[in-house]
Amino acid sequence: MITFESVTKRYPGGTVAVDSLDLEIPGGQTMVLVGPSGCGKTTTLRMINRLIEPSSGRILLDGQDMHESNPVTLRRGIGYVIQQAGLFPHRTIEDNIGTVPSLIGWGKAKARARARELMALVGLDESLARRYPYQLSGGQQQRVGVARALAADPPVLLMDEPFSAVDPIVRASLQDELLRLQAELHKTVVLVTHDVEEAIKVGDQVAIFRPGGKIAQLDTPERLLAAPADSYVENFLGFDRGIRRLSFLAASGLSLDDRSVVGEDTSASMAAETARRAGDEWVLVTDGGHQPRGWAAVSGLEALPSGSRAGQARLEPYGHTFDVRTDSLRAALDATVLSPTGQAVGVDDDGQVVGVTSYERLRDAIHTAEGAEPAAAPETAS
Amino acid sequence: MDWSAVPGLTWESAYLGIVPALIGLVVSLPLGIACTRWRWLYGPVLSATSVLYALPSLALFIVLIPYTGLTDTTVIIPLTLFSLCVLVPAVVDGMRSVPDPVRQAATAMGFGTLRRLVQVELPIAVPIVIAGLRVAMVSSISLASVGQLIGVSSLGYLIIDGYQRDFATEIYVGGGLIIALALVCDLLLVLLRRSLTPWRPRRARGRPENVPIGVPAQPLPGGAA
Amino acid sequence: MSFFSYAWNWIKQPQQWHGSGGIPVRILEQLYYTGLSLIIAALIAIPLGILIGHTGRGAVLVVNIANAWRAIPTLALLVLLTIWLGFSVLAWLIPLVVLGIPPILVNVYEGVAGVDPELKDAARGMGMTPWQQVRKVEVPVAMPLIVLGLRTGAIFVVATATIAAYIGLGGLGRYIIDGLAVDNYGEVAGGALFVVLLALAVQALFVGVRRAAVPRGLREQVRSS
Repeated sequence: MITFESVTKRYPGGTVAVDSLDLEIPGGQTMVLVGPSGCGKTTTLRMINRLIEPSSGRILLDGQDMHESNPVTLRRGIGYVIQQAGLFPHRTIEDNIGTVPSLIGWGKAKARARARELMALVGLDESLARRYPYQLSGGQQQRVGVARALAADPPVLLMDEPFSAVDPIVRASLQDELLRLQAELHKTVVLVTHDVEEAIKVGDQVAIFRPGGKIAQLDTPERLLAAPADSYVENFLGFDRGIRRLSFLAASGLSLDDRSVVGEDTSASMAAETARRAGDEWVLVTDGGHQPRGWAAVSGLEALPSGSRAGQARLEPYGHTFDVRTDSLRAALDATVLSPTGQAVGVDDDGQVVGVTSYERLRDAIHTAEGAEPAAAPETAS
Repeated sequence: MDWSAVPGLTWESAYLGIVPALIGLVVSLPLGIACTRWRWLYGPVLSATSVLYALPSLALFIVLIPYTGLTDTTVIIPLTLFSLCVLVPAVVDGMRSVPDPVRQAATAMGFGTLRRLVQVELPIAVPIVIAGLRVAMVSSISLASVGQLIGVSSLGYLIIDGYQRDFATEIYVGGGLIIALALVCDLLLVLLRRSLTPWRPRRARGRPENVPIGVPAQPLPGGAA
Repeated sequence: MSFFSYAWNWIKQPQQWHGSGGIPVRILEQLYYTGLSLIIAALIAIPLGILIGHTGRGAVLVVNIANAWRAIPTLALLVLLTIWLGFSVLAWLIPLVVLGIPPILVNVYEGVAGVDPELKDAARGMGMTPWQQVRKVEVPVAMPLIVLGLRTGAIFVVATATIAAYIGLGGLGRYIIDGLAVDNYGEVAGGALFVVLLALAVQALFVGVRRAAVPRGLREQVRSS
């Protein structure tokens, strides 16, 4: 648990980077500090491991005033990940990772063994252990940086724009990696980013900073999206915050229609008749394993020679599916928008069709959810 | 021609060339590190070394004679001073070549200042420092032969003797051995650098590798190469 | 006695200031040898360096020259040319020019090649012909290094000219060589003192040249790196 008590950082020349900040960072969670350039978020982060000293105020680590500890020993107990990784170019990967363990007195063999453990943890192949940083890609180097920060098993992990320097695909996978690590390790993570999407994706708590070093709002991602405190926060969150908030609402709340789902061996004329009675224009055809195959137009089914099976009709692609148990309403909405028929296919863990949605059903689900408490974030917020 | 004298003379040339470069290195390391720590220091230090570098070696040998006689020391001191002009910028540029994120990461991980210097900054500075050392050593070996004019023995003796006796072969041998000696030392330093820096990518480089090529009156723009 | 007392005792003798062997004459001779050699070296090295720097071809040549030329012993070069050509103008001019070219060439090359690629791109994009790019953008931006190259070249030419007295050249080195031959340390010291003063004056001259030739915007930029 890290506590900031009226912390101010003033630079000679008058710039106030952080203005009388009170902040409580709960242990075992990811706290994201986000804001525009120059808002003081990085300064705040770097005051935690005393790379920057506050001008006034106190910072407490588990109740103890940081100022009273020796900075060098303090830092050995705090992991630090930066944008350009800062890997030692003159040391192998495993020696890079084992830096802090070596510093605190583990033997070389023990440090290297620990390094290998961490490489597995962050998803790096063991064959890279004796390579040098210049031989690794940007994404790999960032993983090494994270592994290095975790090597001595520090309770606190500080991350300063750790994923900003890599391309979006690598960034997304690194963010997922972080979420996975946190689920396993439950470290106290403080992460600084300028990307509000990233903040919402990885943060348990998000602090939005105003220029001048003050916090505009501190909340969970879904409450931020649901109820921004003022227009600054609202602007900062971006224009499609309503849709993004849907990421936090579970698709399991959706009611699904299974009337228009037919097996491929069903008679085409029967399928068409069922659909007509229900008022549907499309029928979802599934295979023997109840996996989706495609959409059949009712008129197409009717045009088939008598005795045909539904599976013989011309099928439109079913597009993206969504998992009814784990996906969010946003995923369901996205799948619906992408579907050629305006209906999305909901599947279970085995890929078997559970039912289909429509825009009306989505609308109902959203209205219901907005009236109720936001549900717990699903496993993949997308 | 008296071939039996050649090994001794070669040894002398080597001694008179290598010692100044090494002493220069020993002096430049703390001096250069101080110049990176206290930036205002670098300008004056650089000016001082460039002024010294501008003075012809023969003149400096002469200046020292009343104090150190006609000994090796008379040659070694000026050559050492010359080497500073190349080695101090090499140390400074080497230290500056350490990427900022690396320095920051080291501090953040809990490296004290001295440990960071020895375990992180200096090892990374090695390639540039050795590049400077190569220049210093090659220059020293070559310049040492001028000391023959004041009677300090080296392979320069073969040059002088050959001239006086109108015996070109001796001059070729003397000059050739000096060049060969310089190139051998250069090569050894390259091998040393290779062995100390397995962590560097091996690329063919088209530009002179971080050779401090002139007399910097101010810090070289952006460091050499 | 100290170096200065020896030198002063000799300098204050009025006869040193008169006649064809007098101090003023020798100074002018030294300036003449230095100036002539430097101009010729510059006429060769500057265009060559600009060409290689602009086109990038032949850069390998420059790299090798940069590394190898310091190994060449001055005395050997002077002495060999005298043996081949007898004592003549070429016997001293060629070594002085040969030793003056590399520092100019390397610095000019580095200066032109090192111009920010974005600047070069902008120049090309604006529709400048290669010649215009060189004249309006690359050379001005490279000017600090070009001047540095000339200044370094001057150092080596002055030093070599001093040593060239050994093969019979006039100039201030004459006092050193003649004095050594007859064990007159006063003459030797006096000559050395003037050599030092001349070298310093040449350097001071180049500080002035730099101020005149380097555009103000660049001067500050170099200083602050």
